[in-house]
Amino acid sequence: MANTQRIERADYLSKKGRVMLMISRIFVYLILFFLAFLCLFFFYLLIVNSTRSHAQLNEGFSLIPRGNFLKNLKSAWTDGTVNIPRGMLNSFIIAISSSVLATYFSALTAFGIHCYDFRFKKAAFTFILAIMMIPSQISVVGFIKMCNTFGLTNNYLPLILPSIASPVVFFYMKQYMESILPLEIVEAARVDGASEFYTFNRIVIPIMMPAIAVQMIFSFVASWNNFFLPGMLIDKPERKTVPIMIAALRSADYKKFDMGEIYMLILLSIIPVVIVYIFISKFIIKGVAAGSVKG
Amino acid sequence: MKKRVIALLLVAVMAMGMFAGCGKKEEKNFSDGGKVLNIYAWNEEFKGFFEKYYASKIPSDVKVNWIINVSDNGLYQQKLDDALAAQANASADDKVDIFLAEADFITKYADSNATVDVKALGVTDFSNMYNYTVQAASDSKGVVKGVSFQCCPSALIYRRSIAKDVLGTDDPAKVQEALNSWSKFESVAATAKEKGYYMTASFASTFRVFSNNCTSAWVNGNKELVFDKAINDWIAQTDMFVEKQYTLKDGIWDDPTTDQMYKDGKTFCFFGPAWYFNFSMTKAQDAEKGCSGDWAICQGPQAHFWGGTWILGAAGTDNATLVADIMNAFTNDKDIVSKLVENEGQYPNNKAVAATYAADDTKGAVAFLGGQNATAVFAAMTDNIKWENHTKYDQLLNEGLQNKLQEFYKGSVSKEKAMENFKTYIKETYPEIVVK
Amino acid sequence: MEKPAKTKKKHGVSYAKWGYIFILPFFITYFIWSFVPQVLTFGYSFFKMYRSGLDQIGPEWNGIQNYVELFTTKLDGIPTVVKYAGNTMIMWIAGAIPQFLIALLLAVWFTSFRLNIKGQGFFKTVIYMPNLIMASAFSMLIWTVFSVTGPVHSLFVNSNLITEEFDFFFNKVSARSIVAGINFLMWFGNTTIVLMAGIMGIDQSLVEAAMIDGASSIKVFFKITLPLLMPILTYAVITSLIGGINMYDVPFILSKGYGTPDNTTMTLIMNVQQKLSTAKNYGSAGALSVLIFFFSAALSLVVFKFFVPHDSLKNMKKGGK
Repeated sequence: MANTQRIERADYLSKKGRVMLMISRIFVYLILFFLAFLCLFFFYLLIVNSTRSHAQLNEGFSLIPRGNFLKNLKSAWTDGTVNIPRGMLNSFIIAISSSVLATYFSALTAFGIHCYDFRFKKAAFTFILAIMMIPSQISVVGFIKMCNTFGLTNNYLPLILPSIASPVVFFYMKQYMESILPLEIVEAARVDGASEFYTFNRIVIPIMMPAIAVQMIFSFVASWNNFFLPGMLIDKPERKTVPIMIAALRSADYKKFDMGEIYMLILLSIIPVVIVYIFISKFIIKGVAAGSVKG
Repeated sequence: MKKRVIALLLVAVMAMGMFAGCGKKEEKNFSDGGKVLNIYAWNEEFKGFFEKYYASKIPSDVKVNWIINVSDNGLYQQKLDDALAAQANASADDKVDIFLAEADFITKYADSNATVDVKALGVTDFSNMYNYTVQAASDSKGVVKGVSFQCCPSALIYRRSIAKDVLGTDDPAKVQEALNSWSKFESVAATAKEKGYYMTASFASTFRVFSNNCTSAWVNGNKELVFDKAINDWIAQTDMFVEKQYTLKDGIWDDPTTDQMYKDGKTFCFFGPAWYFNFSMTKAQDAEKGCSGDWAICQGPQAHFWGGTWILGAAGTDNATLVADIMNAFTNDKDIVSKLVENEGQYPNNKAVAATYAADDTKGAVAFLGGQNATAVFAAMTDNIKWENHTKYDQLLNEGLQNKLQEFYKGSVSKEKAMENFKTYIKETYPEIVVK
Repeated sequence: MEKPAKTKKKHGVSYAKWGYIFILPFFITYFIWSFVPQVLTFGYSFFKMYRSGLDQIGPEWNGIQNYVELFTTKLDGIPTVVKYAGNTMIMWIAGAIPQFLIALLLAVWFTSFRLNIKGQGFFKTVIYMPNLIMASAFSMLIWTVFSVTGPVHSLFVNSNLITEEFDFFFNKVSARSIVAGINFLMWFGNTTIVLMAGIMGIDQSLVEAAMIDGASSIKVFFKITLPLLMPILTYAVITSLIGGINMYDVPFILSKGYGTPDNTTMTLIMNVQQKLSTAKNYGSAGALSVLIFFFSAALSLVVFKFFVPHDSLKNMKKGGK
């Protein structure tokens, strides 16, 4: 906080500076509000659509909410073919486990490569970068074949465990350490007699908290919205995830097909992610506070 | 040295992959005594019928297991194909017993070793089923592999008020008389245009009518792509309809097309079976903006069908008797079939049951069609429907042609370019088809 | 500017084994779950291998025939793969340029003590929200907005910009712009967060010192923030590039998988999917995937080279100061 005041003092030296600041603030807020409008517009549309019945949705685009919110909510929540509360729980279990594993082990791997000198260090780094570029779409098919062979269908392990090896998350952690993690801290910890694992868990992880929070959000969202892989591996009704349920409603037979219910389910599926996002983004700020200790 | 290790590794891994891919052998076709009945489907429609009308007849020691995968991204067929490929080595409780298939892709399964001859299972009476539903489920040697619990004859559904304006009558028999050939259909379209109407609301409206009546298959014995005369006729007619603005340029499910079903719509006719006007013409049924009652049906220029779901028995099933009993129940059991008609709005795949509804104008009357007895119209035309010259490639060939030609109708490309794009699309989708 | 010194053996203890221990879980997991499928993909590319209906054709050794076919199947006189790669890149770049410009601006604004933006929590949440919707759901909404019965079309008609029906999804420029626009909208918040976390990690005393010395904020950005942000920016550009090359669901849904109009929104992965979904053509799809791999590796290398003065790899070689 002390930093802030000093900077502001530097700026408040002249009157001209204050006017300039005023103008740039107006400009910044205008752009921010425009972007916020653009982003919120589609949510507004989604909410409006979730208040319209199937027949009203048939009439096409509209920005005026209608009175069928509760009806859609009821038909989605109590739908006989999909158990939404259960689906949300399933999706949550998978998403939270895989995002925790992805971030922790990526940070660990990045730390291993960033902080230690060993023979295959550069090879390992290049290798991970290379596999990051393999299009996931095609190896997915072989992956599913493998899961079928080993009887791992309707099992969450193939959806959770592979996230330990997330090249993209690793790459981020590595780059982040590159820009902010001073090795002196590690050395100092060693001098104090800390074990390597202790150093990583108690010193490096807190400094890396903003990065971990960022990637945790991304992994959580990616896992939460993943349709293809869970769709291929899961067919027991009580194990299905939210995207599979949305797809199930969309391919319902013509008698049951109800766009209002589909929009409602899409809306419902976003709420938990927004909550998780707001919750985790607090750690970005906290992490910065912890990280700044180093300065 | 390093290279050799990698090469060896590659060979080993490839070998593994090949074993996974092959392993196909002639298996024993079916057996009895299974404790789990596995049914594959892509939505809950049949499950609903099954639970309402059949579940009570399942032996108490048999558990019914529904494996429902959506058809999005080809998920349903992909998982079904994998299960069928693994059928020989699957444990008794995991064997596929029954699976469902739509008209669009039934040939792929019926004309394969993955399905079992239903006559051998115990379905022997096909006399009441409509011929085309039996043909559709038969392989290239004529062995029947499944039955359909629905029959989907498709009619020309016209607006009575517009018919009166254009033809001077809305009587189904007279309208049929005026539209019973393509040349008459085209001249009525010209009259309709003069009076400010569209003949159809989508460039693709008439596609199924033509494609159901092909005299040769899309792909011949040498795996060459062939344009049947009926397909070429459809293209020629549609080119003309779009150019003269007898129709619109959007797909049959798109809003500009379905908006034509509202009261203020300007379209003479749509094409579709009972399920289409019962459940998919919701805009016409809308209480405020719709025009329920202002519709009627007749056969139109050519008999055809649209959709339908078939029940197929999987080779290797361990519940053969039960599978046959289910098939019989939904086709030959008059009690159950009648309930499908009365409670579920289905057109039955049973001529005797259909005849009772066709004969009874009070039971058969449909308010949406101004009280017309739809079953009577369908019953009369259903025997004319053919299932001939179908291939396992049809679904994407039909959809691909329509989608690529739409780019021409929308003005994105020339006709030649649209056809070239279609051929490239086929080349990239089906490696074995020879495209000239 | 301080550069981290490399850990060296101290007090005669080697820490190298810890490096191996820490990266072990990653590699074990990778080899168990991903290695075999990926090597298989590479191997399949040399085989004729597909399904005709339910019948398996092959696998049968095919040499480089799959690759040859990829280059002999042509559209508009150029190989289809080249055309699809071009489509993919055009749509990626059209979305990525505004995405990075806006994200950089927002990241700087949000972290600026001078601007001291109020309601940051609100804006940060809102700009990330498009990323939370499934691409398929987003595309559904976009469809209703831009269809010929949608509001944009009637706006254009009412303001006399168009006189007859104009379908945005059937025009090359507008169809590609819509795809790029969705990509921008879905990902600029994500990039902003990444860059913001990077900027917040920068030692503020450096910025402060420069400010007190009278440097303008623009100068501070280019001379201090940007260089220190380079590793993270490199990350953001490379992952965006890889995401771009893997672009699939948005154009797939908007064009029903056909790359409408005239194959101009057909991406590389859509083509892979086209080969896999019906005919399970592992041979051709494998060959295409191998090409895509080399394509993205080459482009990533270009990105690395572009950022090389600040690149970590170089520092790694030198072993720091």
